Amino acid sequence: MKVTLISIPVRDQEKALKFYTEILGFIIKKDKPLEGGNRWLTLVSKEAQDGPELLLEPGPNHFEPCKIYQDALMEAGIPYTQFNVENVDAEYEKLTKLGVEFSVKPSKMGTWKYAVFNDTCGNNIELVEEL
Amino acid sequence: MTFYEREINRISNIIYSNQEQIQTVIGVRNYIDNNYDTDLNLDLLSHLHFISKFHLLRLFKKHYGLTLRQYLIDKRIEKSKQHLKNGMSVTETCFAVGFESLGSFSTLFKTKTGNSPSEFKNEQLSRSKLDSEF
Repeated sequence: MKVTLISIPVRDQEKALKFYTEILGFIIKKDKPLEGGNRWLTLVSKEAQDGPELLLEPGPNHFEPCKIYQDALMEAGIPYTQFNVENVDAEYEKLTKLGVEFSVKPSKMGTWKYAVFNDTCGNNIELVEEL
Repeated sequence: MTFYEREINRISNIIYSNQEQIQTVIGVRNYIDNNYDTDLNLDLLSHLHFISKFHLLRLFKKHYGLTLRQYLIDKRIEKSKQHLKNGMSVTETCFAVGFESLGSFSTLFKTKTGNSPSEFKNEQLSRSKLDSEF
């Protein structure tokens, strides 16, 4: 068995695609049409194109518990997904200039530095740098 | 302050209260990152950071979730993949990242990545060739 895919719930796939590619810098790996205007849409990071794919999954639009869970996580400020970066401070500077809103500015916790931002698609995302 | 921030602060105060310990393990990790290609050993690391060997082993595992040896091996394998992708030979790569035996390098590489170093290198080469053809 291999870990090849993680999914992230989004309300609007097209909007999510723009945010994750144009702002965060991911690139499209797979994009194929499904029924009802939905797509199987996966992204990979530029630095690890053979790495796990990130599925932009329109779950909240089709399964109410998914929507409730996503809303509850957002309200509590909890990031369900995290991306590792080389330098949290540099990413924070870059992304704030692009208009990304952070609920937690770069902070230290033991051997980690982290920050949390809103992906505009219903999720808090955590950036993590191991110190 | 969100629920998440409150929880992070609460947990942090419990498990990361000793700043001196944290600075020590961060220093050890940075030292490994910058010297993974040399003859690193526990005696040297503990001596450099004024800490007993057994205390260092415990602290590193506690804060990074893996042993010093596992961390060093992972670092060397990660760097060796870069060298192989850049066209370095398997033997050169083995010594460039600090391994002393080609046999143990090949075995560890296969265990960690699923391929032997030469299989990995050939795969990278054929992939870049395919990319240039299409």
